Amino acid sequence: MKLPAFDYLAPATVGEAVDALAAAGRDARVLAGGQSLLLDMRLGRARPDALVDINGITGLGQVRVEEGALVAGALVRHRAFESAGVAPGPLGRLLSLAVADIAHPPIRARGTMAGSLAWAHPASEWCAMAVALDAEVELRGPAGERVAAARDFFLGPHATARAPAELITAVRVPLLDAGTGVAFAEHRRTAFCFAQVAVVTALTVVDGVVAGARIGLAGCADRPVRARAAERSLLGAAAAPPEGGGTPPPGHPFAQAGRIAAEHDAAPVAEPYADPEYRRQAIAVLVARTLSGAVADLRAHGEADREAGGAR
Amino acid sequence: MSSAYARREDERLLSGRGRFVADMHMPGCLEAAFVRSPVAHGRLREVGCAAARLVPGVAGAWAAADLSAVSSCAVPAIGLPDLPPVPPTLLAGLSTPGAVAGRDWPVLATDRVRYAGEAVAVVVGEDRYRAEDGAAEVKVVIDPLPAMVDTATALESPVTLFEGLSNVALEGSAGRPIDETVWREAAVVVEARYRQQVLLPTPMECRVFLAAPTVDGLTVWCSHQMPHRLHRELAALLRCPPDRIRVIVPDSGGAFGSKSPTFPEYIVAAHLALRLGRPVRWVEDRMESLLAATRGRGQDQRVRLAADADGHLLAYELAIDADVGAYPHLGSGLPLQTARMATGPYTTPRVHATVRSVLTNTMMTYPYRGAGRPEATAALERTVDEVARRLGLDPAELRRRNLIPPGSFPYDTPTGRRYDSGDYAAALELALRTLDYDGWRAEQARRRADPAARPLGIGLACYVERSGGEPGGLHEFGGVEACPDGTFVARCGGAAAGQSHETTFTDLVSEVLSVPATRVRLVEGDTGEVAEGMGSYASRTAQIGGAALQRAAKALIEQARLRAATLWELPVAEVAWSGGVLRPVRGVSPGLSLGELVRATGPLRVDERFEGDMAFPFGTHAAVVEIDPDLGSVHVLRLVAVDDCGVVLNPAAVHGQALGSAVQGIGQALYEGVPYDEAGVPLLPNGLLDYLLPTFAEVPPIEVLTTITPTPVTPLGAKGAGESGCIGTPAAIINAVADALRLPDPTLIQMPLTPDVVWRAARAAQGGFGGDGGTEGDQGVEGGR
Repeated sequence: MKLPAFDYLAPATVGEAVDALAAAGRDARVLAGGQSLLLDMRLGRARPDALVDINGITGLGQVRVEEGALVAGALVRHRAFESAGVAPGPLGRLLSLAVADIAHPPIRARGTMAGSLAWAHPASEWCAMAVALDAEVELRGPAGERVAAARDFFLGPHATARAPAELITAVRVPLLDAGTGVAFAEHRRTAFCFAQVAVVTALTVVDGVVAGARIGLAGCADRPVRARAAERSLLGAAAAPPEGGGTPPPGHPFAQAGRIAAEHDAAPVAEPYADPEYRRQAIAVLVARTLSGAVADLRAHGEADREAGGAR
Repeated sequence: MSSAYARREDERLLSGRGRFVADMHMPGCLEAAFVRSPVAHGRLREVGCAAARLVPGVAGAWAAADLSAVSSCAVPAIGLPDLPPVPPTLLAGLSTPGAVAGRDWPVLATDRVRYAGEAVAVVVGEDRYRAEDGAAEVKVVIDPLPAMVDTATALESPVTLFEGLSNVALEGSAGRPIDETVWREAAVVVEARYRQQVLLPTPMECRVFLAAPTVDGLTVWCSHQMPHRLHRELAALLRCPPDRIRVIVPDSGGAFGSKSPTFPEYIVAAHLALRLGRPVRWVEDRMESLLAATRGRGQDQRVRLAADADGHLLAYELAIDADVGAYPHLGSGLPLQTARMATGPYTTPRVHATVRSVLTNTMMTYPYRGAGRPEATAALERTVDEVARRLGLDPAELRRRNLIPPGSFPYDTPTGRRYDSGDYAAALELALRTLDYDGWRAEQARRRADPAARPLGIGLACYVERSGGEPGGLHEFGGVEACPDGTFVARCGGAAAGQSHETTFTDLVSEVLSVPATRVRLVEGDTGEVAEGMGSYASRTAQIGGAALQRAAKALIEQARLRAATLWELPVAEVAWSGGVLRPVRGVSPGLSLGELVRATGPLRVDERFEGDMAFPFGTHAAVVEIDPDLGSVHVLRLVAVDDCGVVLNPAAVHGQALGSAVQGIGQALYEGVPYDEAGVPLLPNGLLDYLLPTFAEVPPIEVLTTITPTPVTPLGAKGAGESGCIGTPAAIINAVADALRLPDPTLIQMPLTPDVVWRAARAAQGGFGGDGGTEGDQGVEGGR
């Protein structure tokens, strides 16, 4: 499990980093938090010729709100999202709910959101978040800057639309409107391991009726999935969790949405202890539960969100 | 006995001053990396090391054939023969000559590989990085053969692991066959099949071995449970006079039974150290360990249990197909432990257990904490619960009616064990009281009436196990020496891997001598310092090694009195011993301290050997679980462990052992398992992210209590401790889950009880907790291929 030999480059600017990545004849990889890449190198799954360490580049570590979106630079660590105050309103809450289930504190202190998107693990919480919320990935390559929509970015396990010479410089996540409730649920075998299934949900309610829904699924296909069929099934439905709480019973719109997400949106891949049939069950349950959770979140925070939104 | 609750070894270990083999600075040391088979079974066509030898920093690379060539030894005193095979262990009848004949385990594979991870070549380099760079250049060509990674496949396969020899390495039994009329006439007969899944012992420190040539021999540092056995076997393998080899066990990061063999990698490293005249170290990494270190458990069981209408157990039959891995070693006889303990804590008059030890294409199965007794307990306790369910009896009440009563000891079981002492019912009642069993039953009834409430289950497991070892291995060395400076050295034949020997044994010796514990120093795990030893396994060191030390300390006092009597020209009866000082009974002499006596009369040292008998610790574990039926998640709400290991030498050490083993028991019940791919390779590509151990976050509230029933087999009255949680806890949890789901058939769930397994069992039991019906008969079985 020792690292094989590689060249190590530590550029001082984004331009130098892109040059290093683009240098001919090199299989170069970006080193940000290193929490996945270094493990893959130790396991022999990645054997890059060179690592381009971007940790010395100033300006990539900032989180800011700009033009209705949260913009997280490439060096923003997971733990930056542990406080709901990282973004105003429902988005900050959703990010802070999800980050608590990303690995454990030492990894959250080092790993980055942009790195998670670049690594594109099918069970990644941030990747599911990105597709659910229509995030954008800002890239800089030899030909200049471009922006990729999350929905076009993930191509399969560990495969993205990022060209080898491109550097992700930031992730842009649109803010969620007041009137939106959020929830996150993850199912895994122990606190230590990857998710079998995780669900990101944001539900916008107008006059007690679902006016908009965003549902992102992790661990439900070979890439993150936006559960669009399930979202559509919810539009116009009463935003009311089942009486007495608990898992919505069959026939409840939230349970139906869960079943639709499991059967129509997801394309589960078999893994030990999680075959497709079981995964579909877990997806249906978690989607239904997050929908109830989102309504509860809205009831708890909706008014404060509206007041804060009015002040913005 | 102990008044000090802080462990003596903790000051060193918790402040980073422990001394582990991997950290030792050894000038000129080469580091070894092994090239391992990527397939489970195949003919080895070619192993090419030429390219590896060209890698910068690589000092050498060898396949089996390269090392068998005529070699010269850098140490003249040593013969250094061709690379020998791994020595099989026939210790205490745990394997037999018939099992190992014709089934040699080469230290590097020669013409065939029999498990994924089997070493086919070794590369040594200036550091581990270079060695691994070299290993990556070794060319290995293997023609695959069908992989057999479970007993059913290996039993049916026309291909055998060893040409012309059966895949069944050993057969055995305990008890006598049971007449069919017993089953026909019983009020209830439960039949079931269980899988005791393969587990990986997973100590924090993986295997480590360092061999350094000396002027006339070899010094070895190794994290090992049986240093004297390693010493003896290495001397024979290397054709080296035993007094030229010294084996030292420094601090050890855990073993759990997995660190007592002379592993192939050790033999290669020792051989290379002598051949090259340089120290050679091998530090196993986690990925190697998950593939190529020993595995525990691994039994497919069929059971039949009969009872009369009042719930009295009449007969029990257990048939075991044990998955013993690719080479018959000590683990091939290990399932006989399960057979001999099949009777459990009950008065069942007829018990018959049979064993087939089946070779499979996996690394060898070997003792892992519990070693045969968890398998016996899980099979029996699950079946007992099912008898209770069929008879409509409370599981606690059914057990009460069958436990061996306290007045019946020694108790000879139908499976050939003589239980030494016990009060099994007392442990059961204490567990029930501590748990508030009736309170939880009431809560369960409440939930069963409320369709929205999550199912709750209560599980019991009464167990009896065996400590000390098997006949032929029931002795241990203990010595005490008085030093001129007034301190004492205690020598023990064991070797600690986390069992608090330094604390427990210095306390024990200091109390016998009535001197402060700070004046006693324990020496163990060093064949240069300790004349002989068996080692630490089978929960034996406190029970047997402790008795040897007690005897040695007492004998030391007697010898000291004798010397003082001679010195003072008094009868021995007139020399008194107290507080480490000898005094004439009469008169006002200030007396002599032992240090003064040694200075006056010369060295004073007593070496003793104690031979005892097996002891049988017991207890009851009880678990309460809650199930999320929609996801199949199991939440352990409460765990109570009542253990009886006789007289407790050190409460803190015993408590820690009980707690740690209970957590490992939770691991077996809920998390740990080894799935295999189509080619028979363990599917653990991400290491411990795939092989899931319980973490701090998974540990429920655990209450550990003891009852104390001294054993008559040693003067200390102590039985072994430390394996109880692995034995009692899994059965308690699985019974709790079955109880929560009201499973109609115990075969429906097999460990580990992962969410998918539990969800399917719930669906099969209830026609769909999940709300959408279920397909019958598709319960997931771990490793099910």
